[in-house]
Formats: sequence, structure tokens, C-alpha cells
Amino acid sequence: MGKVQISNLKKSYGSNEVLKDINMKIDEGEVVCVIGPSGSGKSTLLRCVNKLEEVTAGEVIVDDYNISDPKTDINKVRENIGMVFQHFNLFPHMSVLKNITFAPVELKKQTEKEAREIALKLLDRVGLADKADAFPASLSGGQKQRVAIARALAMNPDVMLFDEPTSALDPEMVGEVLGVMKDLASEGMTMMIVTHEMGFAREVADRVVFMDGGYIVEEGEPEQVFGNPQHERTISFLEKVL
Amino acid sequence: MKKSRFMWLSMAFLLFFAVCAGNLSQTATAQAGEGKTYSIGTDVTFAPFEFQQNGKYVGIDLDLLAAIAKDQNFKYEIRPLGFNAAVQGLQSNQLDGMIAGMSITDERKQTFDFSEPYYESGVVMAVRQDNNEVKSYEDLRGQRVAVKIGTEGYNFANSIKDKYGFTLIPFDDSVQMYEEVTIGNSVACFEDFPVVAYAIQKGVQLKTATEKESGAPYGFAVNKGQSQELLQMFNKGLANVKASGEYDQIVSKYLGSAKPGEESTTPPAPVSKWKIVSDAIPALLKGLGMTLMYTIISLFFAFILGLIFGFMKVSPSKTARAIATVFVDIFRGIPLLVLGLFIYFGIPGAFGFKMPLIVAAVLALSLNAGAYVTEIIRGGIQSIDKGQLEAARSLGLSNRTAMIKVIIPQAVKVMIPSFINQLVITLKDTSIMSAIGLIELTQSGKLIAANNYQSTVIYGMVAIMYLIVITILTKIADALERRTRRG
Repeated sequence: MGKVQISNLKKSYGSNEVLKDINMKIDEGEVVCVIGPSGSGKSTLLRCVNKLEEVTAGEVIVDDYNISDPKTDINKVRENIGMVFQHFNLFPHMSVLKNITFAPVELKKQTEKEAREIALKLLDRVGLADKADAFPASLSGGQKQRVAIARALAMNPDVMLFDEPTSALDPEMVGEVLGVMKDLASEGMTMMIVTHEMGFAREVADRVVFMDGGYIVEEGEPEQVFGNPQHERTISFLEKVL
Repeated sequence: MKKSRFMWLSMAFLLFFAVCAGNLSQTATAQAGEGKTYSIGTDVTFAPFEFQQNGKYVGIDLDLLAAIAKDQNFKYEIRPLGFNAAVQGLQSNQLDGMIAGMSITDERKQTFDFSEPYYESGVVMAVRQDNNEVKSYEDLRGQRVAVKIGTEGYNFANSIKDKYGFTLIPFDDSVQMYEEVTIGNSVACFEDFPVVAYAIQKGVQLKTATEKESGAPYGFAVNKGQSQELLQMFNKGLANVKASGEYDQIVSKYLGSAKPGEESTTPPAPVSKWKIVSDAIPALLKGLGMTLMYTIISLFFAFILGLIFGFMKVSPSKTARAIATVFVDIFRGIPLLVLGLFIYFGIPGAFGFKMPLIVAAVLALSLNAGAYVTEIIRGGIQSIDKGQLEAARSLGLSNRTAMIKVIIPQAVKVMIPSFINQLVITLKDTSIMSAIGLIELTQSGKLIAANNYQSTVIYGMVAIMYLIVITILTKIADALERRTRRG
């Protein structure tokens, strides 16, 4: 069984069906990039994995917990699923350090002192050791996103979800964020990444999933999807973005 | 640092609240102790029968009541509510009795039981001192005539207005009515003779223009079928003070022996404006203190209501949202004045219990402000980007923790300007509660003006006091806001 197992997932907003029968599996340590045109449902799919979106039908299982079951303690499961957002969503009223230590301390995963040590190590890892006492408002977009990644990692998750992590960044800052993500991948983190960075997907992903119109149209190893796409819609999408 | 500041603030608040609550319960126990204390309603502006002098209520009615209470050995508490509010208070059993120069009429006998008459009054017409054209009712044709609502003067004027063809301009108290005539908006007013004679003695620029119409005598009233023992004590005591000569002393103390047309028109020694101001300051400051106290207590409860309903409004539960919406719609949709009248007179009248004035006023203010605070809190919370809650929840935090630690600290900064605004509004709105007799700054001013007939000076002072306090509060709040924004 995979780390993340999605079966027959459907998601509708009223009469608008955004996800239509999605089946997908992510193994431990696997890096999966989800690509596709906007409105294809890729972000919604990602958000269903940690129940930021309620599923309409089907099953989502993470770490053997059935997320779609209302009896599951979703807060407990989320502790093991890190998430990075397009717009960072750092807490503006907390310092960088506090942003990172806040959840682990609040949830009693770490003492204040442990959390601080871990946070400083994480900041060092994302190259922002000197920004511990700064407030989010004083950081650049790239720095904010790296703090957001550190914040998610502080909970010591075994799956990381990335929702278009570089889409809101100025082009010159994309690299620094992708660099951090690449390191993370090479360390064996299980990652599900919704992205428009085709070069990154091709280089880092173990598997690429192409979505369109609420379906998974095509999936496979990067070389296969990018180098020899089978489906007509994949071909026309890749022609536009590459 | 931040945490301790918040602690201090909440502690100061709790302390203040405890002191206020302590004060309230103290009055309550004092009332309940040893023997019944009767609540007696009266007018605020009906000199020489009742008016405020040096911070005390005096006048023929009140001196007489004191003499009778002493003779009959009962305890009472004076509630200067204004005539109309007192009538309603008596009807709804908020009061046990009422003495307010109230004429015994057949109409009133339907609702109230009256004592033996204690004063033979009579209505006269009064005009401005320099007015020599209006000498009889015929001269009123096509003119405006000022009257005071609910008085014999009103009833009399109303009964002849069609015959003589004049228009009635009704007022709530005598001072406003006199002012209407002295500034020339109306040509005449109708009022009980002793009342207008006393005002002229005090320097109001009026003169009586007709003989006194023999009117209904004044009586002490209780609600029909209620407080009969009080009525009997009043009658017995009245007979005793009349027999002892004390009654005549009281009446001549205020009226001398003036008859219509003979009242002295020589103005009393002119009082300097500065003296008027300095005499009024202590009572007005006390009124201001009450205004501030009612504002703070009301806002405290409004804040609690706002927190409860504000969070219900942003809750995922449809039922909770619906309840909160109904709350806001009701209390934002009813004018504060109507709400106050309904709570103070309507509810006790319907269910037959007494509601302390302070409770009614604070309740009305809290519910009204609570509806607005609910909207402020809802707006503040909803103004915070949805991503903040998602980020907190995605880390495994509960909805509650996410709200308290992530959303609210940010929302509060957004809410502060609106809270300041609400503080200023509620502070000003306390004046509306003077309509049910709450003694705060406006009512204090009204009481003083009713006694010295210096409306311009007194209401000017009241306005300036509101202005100063609100300006100071706004500046303090601005500074506070700047600090939170920086922090």
C-alpha cells in the first residue's frame, strides 16, 4: 500500500464537478508532480489529500488513515502532512522563528527549547539562519516561501504537499525555492507537487501526472510524459508551455 | 511583554466590573432591608411642586410627601422620571406611587386610584412679558400655542383649540414649553397657575394673561387596586399635616400668596453667567461620571454578546449563523429609544415584575451595541485571508486554536477603529436613556435647566462636556491603535 492512496475520488461544488473519478497512488519516498492547464482540478486534488477540501465521493487514505471517513481525527493526520501554499500564508503577527515553532509547541510535539533548536536548524537548511527574528513583512517572496517550507518541516511530516509553490514569485526567486525542494526530494521525502515548472518536474519528479477536465489524462516517468506524450491533450498542453 | 499587557488590561476591566456590580448589589440590599421602601415616581421639571435645588429634589409635592411619610412612618425612594415616564412606570408596576402635580380626572381614575385631593390648582394662559396683544382666548386664532404633554393645561387647550382656532405645539417639559413662548415661536402656553407663577418669580420672561380656570385638584396616585395601604397612609398623613398647619407652611414657602395677574414681574437679582456655570459643574460632572459608567458597563456586556454572536456568525453551523443573524437583525432594527421604552415599561408591564432602571438601561444599551459589535467582530474575522486559517489547520491545529492564536490577533487590529467608533456612539447613546429617566449627563443637564431656566448655558455645557470626553477618548484610542499596529 502506498503512502497516499486515492480511489474513485469525486469532488463537486454544487452541480460543478471538478474532480471526476480520480485514482492515484504515491509510494513512500516518491516525488509526484501534478501538471495541467488551470482549472483542470490539480490544486483541488492536492487539497483533498489533507481535507482542506471535503471529498464528495471516494476515498483518500494517507498513512493508513482514511481521511474521507468523518470519524478520523483529521488534526492528528494533518500533523504528518506538511503543506506549502502558493501565497505562503505565513502568520504576519509572528516572527519567522515563531512561525516555525508555533505549531509543534502548541501541539506539544516539542518543548519550546527543542522547537527553537529545530527551527534554527531548518532555517539554516533553507539558507535563512539570519532571519529568525525578522517578521514576514520584511522578507522577499522567495524568503517567505522558504520559511513556509521550514514551518511545514518543523512538524516532521512524512508527506509534503506543494500547491504551486513558485507561482506567486518573481522569476529570479523561483530558483531558490526549487533548490530547497530539490534537496528535500533527494533526502527521500514523499512529495506531491502541483506545479507549472516543467523543467523542475522533468528533473526532480519520479512520476508526472497530467490532469485535464477533472481527470488524470496521462501519467508516467518524466522522460515518458515529456519526451513521448501519448495523449492528444497532453501533447497540445506541452506544446503551449514548453 | 504583550501577554502581560493584555493581562493587565483584562484585570483592570474585571476589577472595574466587580466594583460596579458591588455598587449595584449594595443598593439592592439596602432597599430590601427592614420594611418596604416605596418607589414614588415624580416629574423632573414641575417647579414649584418638584424640582432640583443644590442637587436635592424639593418642592411642594416632595416636602409634603416627606412630611406625610414622617407622620405615617414609611420609607420611600423618589424616582424623578419625568411625568410621562412616571405614568407609564406606575401602570407597569415599576413604581408603587406617583406624586407629580397630577390632576384627578375621570379618565385617569380608570387606571389609577387617587388620594384625597391635596392641592386645588387651575390652568392659566401665559404669554411673553412684552406681549400686549394676546389678552384672551379669542386672540389665539391662527396662532401656535405651546403645551406640555399629559397635563391639565394640555387637556384644557385641546378642548378649546377648535373653538378658538389655534394649533397646539406639544412639549415634554415645562422649560422647553416656556422657551418656545419666550423666543416667540408660539404666542402662549397653558400651564397650572402655581407652576407658571413660580417660573415667573424665578425670572422667566412670561406673564399670566387670563384668570385661572377652575381645574381638577391634584392627587397622589397608585396603580388601580395596588398599594392600597400606601394610599391609606397618604390620606391619613395628609389629614394630619393639614391639621397641624405644616401643610400651609409648605405651600407658602414656595408660592407666597400670589394670585393670577398679581405675581411679581420684577426680575430677581440678575445671576452672573459664571455663577450659573460654576453652580452647575458639580452636578454635571456627576452626571458625566454616570454616563461613563453606563457606557463602560454596557460595552462590556455588548462585547460579550458580540463575541458570542460574532463567532456564531462565522461558524460552520447553519443554525448558529441563523440565530446570530436574527439577533443582529432584531437589535439593529429597533431604535434604541423604542428598545429602552419596551424593556423598561413593556416587559415588566406584561409579566408583572419590577425592573430596576439601571438594569433596563444597561440591557437596552448592551443589546443595541451588542448587535453592532457582533458585526464588527464578524467583519474583522472575515477580513483575514482564508489562507491563514488553512495554513494553521494544515499544521494540525484545531479550529479553536487556529482562531484564538492566528485569526483573532490579526482580526483585532482590523477591528480597533470600529470599536472606537462604537465606544463613541454608545457614549452618546446613553443620553437616549434619559427618556426612561436614567440620570446621566443629559438628564442632569435637563434637571438643572428645569430649575434655573437657563437652557442655553446648561445645554451648552453639556454639549462641551460630551465633546471633551469623546475627543479625549478618541485620542487615547488612536494612540492605542498606533501602538498595536506597530507591535
